Amino acid sequence: MLGFLLPGLPATGQNLPGCEFFQPNVYLRIDKKGLVTIFVARQEMGQGVNTSLPMIVAEELDADWKDVKVEIAEHGTFPLAKAIFGESPHDTGGSQSIPGSWNELRKAGAAAKAMLIEAAANQWGIKPSQCAADKGAVVNTVNMAVLTYGELVCRAAELPVPKEVTLKSVKDFKIIGKEPKKSNQKDIITGKTKFGIDIKIPGMVYASVERCPVMGGTLISFDDSESKKIPGFIKTVKYEGTGSPMNVYPGVAVIATSTWAAMQARKLLKIKWNEGAKNKESTVALFKSFAEKSKAKPAVSVFKKETKPGFKLTPSNSYTATYSGPLLAHAAIEPVNCIAEVNGDKCEIWGGFQLPDWALNTISQDCGFKKENIKINLSLIGGGFGRRLRCDFAIEAVKIARQIDKPVQLVWSRPDDMKFEAYRPANYHRLKAGWDTKGNIIEWHHHVLSTPIATVTWPGSKNVNENGGGADSEFWYDIPNVYTGYTAVEININRSWVRGVENAQNVFAMESFIDEVAGKLKKDPLQFRLQLLEGKQPVTINGMYKEPQRVADVLKLAAEKIGWNQSRKKNHFMGVATHSYLGTKAYAAHAVEIELIGAKKFRIKKIVAAIDCGLIINPDGMRNQMEGGIAFGLGQVLKNEITVINSRVQENQLDDYELLTYAEMPDVEIHHIKSEADPGGVGEVGVATVGPALCNALAAAGYRPRTQPIKKEGYKWVV
Amino acid sequence: MNTYKLNINNKEVEVEAVPDMPLLWILRDHLELTGTKFGCGAGVCGACTVLINNEAVRSCLMKVSACINKKIISIEGLSENGTHPVQVAWNEENVPQCGYCQSGQIMAVVGLLNANKQPTEEEINETMNQIYCRCGTYHRIKKAINNAISSINK
Repeated sequence: MLGFLLPGLPATGQNLPGCEFFQPNVYLRIDKKGLVTIFVARQEMGQGVNTSLPMIVAEELDADWKDVKVEIAEHGTFPLAKAIFGESPHDTGGSQSIPGSWNELRKAGAAAKAMLIEAAANQWGIKPSQCAADKGAVVNTVNMAVLTYGELVCRAAELPVPKEVTLKSVKDFKIIGKEPKKSNQKDIITGKTKFGIDIKIPGMVYASVERCPVMGGTLISFDDSESKKIPGFIKTVKYEGTGSPMNVYPGVAVIATSTWAAMQARKLLKIKWNEGAKNKESTVALFKSFAEKSKAKPAVSVFKKETKPGFKLTPSNSYTATYSGPLLAHAAIEPVNCIAEVNGDKCEIWGGFQLPDWALNTISQDCGFKKENIKINLSLIGGGFGRRLRCDFAIEAVKIARQIDKPVQLVWSRPDDMKFEAYRPANYHRLKAGWDTKGNIIEWHHHVLSTPIATVTWPGSKNVNENGGGADSEFWYDIPNVYTGYTAVEININRSWVRGVENAQNVFAMESFIDEVAGKLKKDPLQFRLQLLEGKQPVTINGMYKEPQRVADVLKLAAEKIGWNQSRKKNHFMGVATHSYLGTKAYAAHAVEIELIGAKKFRIKKIVAAIDCGLIINPDGMRNQMEGGIAFGLGQVLKNEITVINSRVQENQLDDYELLTYAEMPDVEIHHIKSEADPGGVGEVGVATVGPALCNALAAAGYRPRTQPIKKEGYKWVV
Repeated sequence: MNTYKLNINNKEVEVEAVPDMPLLWILRDHLELTGTKFGCGAGVCGACTVLINNEAVRSCLMKVSACINKKIISIEGLSENGTHPVQVAWNEENVPQCGYCQSGQIMAVVGLLNANKQPTEEEINETMNQIYCRCGTYHRIKKAINNAISSINK
């Protein structure tokens, strides 16, 4: 635990021979050359925390950004202080990294700066108030002398860490709001970055696993006589699956001297499995079941608001519609992997984990190691999107590693990654709205059905709600009566959180339906929404705070930038969608313009995104996330789909799961609301409204999609 | 197992491998040149793209036995320090997010421009449609490609 400090204790560095550095807290270290190393606890997976979070520290520190070096904080070095997401400051997900770290990072930088100023003031014999800090140096405002941070390291290291700090005003920000290049951009471009899959440990060997094709099955026997003939083969090991939360499948692993030899040898295994009773399930049957069950009352009431009790819905004053979304894969380009080494009762792993502490606790529970005997080495992640929240692949690696006396790296093949993960829940929606004789919408019902995350991750979960993949209390329209309900439907397939979680899944239905209701009432879809948002009070629903005015403002911005109020070009149609994203202090809307070139055949001309995430730390990072969110959301609405037959996922590769391709990325524009509100998280807010905005454009053209991916309904697009 | 003499990044190396071992794993596991990435093993995603005799090739499908007497360049050998025009363009446009697919993207573009200094939009699309980015950096890849084309045609 080198360098870890509790507030109030003297900084380290003072007792080291020659005083090597100044490290007042876990977040930063300054050496005598003035190099500022900033440690980042949140996991970098492309969302840019390795740049945005250091910018916050560097801002309050008044460092010179060119002196900053970023490092991944070693697991366990950050204090288990209360974090917004999960229990650990390393936890990365839910778009919480910036909003969750904002205050603590500012204080960390400010505390260090205060100590450097005090050190300089002491050296000059003046008051700290007569000093100013800027770009990695302290200035004596009396005689304009300058001492760099590097020169002050040893004096500062002798001072106590202040308990109270003064933070800068937004108007004085010099780093936040600028666009420094991603801290590892150069390394990425020259091939130097090491992801989990790239780590090499001396003496390591490699494993590839053949799993029971059906969740919940068991191994009967295996024959590796052909596998043994592959040069590089070392041995075959088997292991049992686990129950929740990770639901690891039982596996037979071939260990070999190279990844490829392990993969080749594994293909030659002959295995008999007992698939268990739940091996005949399909997504076709699932969606039939959804449709049937959607007609009944929801099993659970999630949210109820009734300010006009007694309002009657009749066939002439109401409208009902259904929508659906499939199971979705994460499909990061780096397939999941983990290196594990077991020595007696000690276990060490290397890889990318979004929730390192959950991984540690689960490995302890499922593999029987004491928590203090498990060490996790964290790496960069080649695409998270929620896949690395789970540590199923680490449990597998540990079970394999206990059966060999070398470090072993387990790498999932692409088909493994596609078939054996935990998917975004399949979902179905039945909505009903009613209006009064003046055409005001009075009542809104939303019955959400899905294959929940909660029941498979924490069996026995009742009343599945937020973050269980169930219903969602996000609702921004001021409608007098609102009833949200949920029904869980099971399938023998694992489920988990994918970027956007249930918010994205439900926004598709909500933003499609409000558009349809506007159409029924012959109102402009933009104005119809705005009248239910503008000037409305902030509201907290089931603990989730949202401001309808901000939902309106991003919608107006998107509509303005796409040219909503201008006359349409021939065969061009537009659609909009807006939302508040679950607990992230972020709001976004999309506006889509299409050109209709045939029946259900279109070209996307432009997509405009408008975001309000409060104060923006790195605008370029924000734009990159929003552009990426468009690609993610577009792939989902157009063509991503996981299908299941006989409880087996059918998709294998990145082309039959059908990721969005280069040429399919349309022209995009990203706009933002200028704000000094507390910074929100941008990782997910850019996804949800892409799909419904596109579908609303298609509806304007005369076609209303209801099933995602819309290619299933015969829609075709050209670039 | 055979011994193969390979020319990789302008250096002669010797590896012992079975003839069928893909170049990808020679690079990653034998030589610890991990800049070339494994994404699918089936030639679908393009993360494993390298240059062989200046042409873009998917190293996961290229057997080591077919690699002798060929000039192989991986991302690590593309330039001294990120100075290839495509790398410079990539840096100017701030393309990467997670970065995992980016070696393959860059090498694919280099291969395309090695074959044709002024590809049409259709030709670019045809090449780039076969390389996936899950983070969605396509918008910036397009800008970087156009930027690189201007640069090499000056």
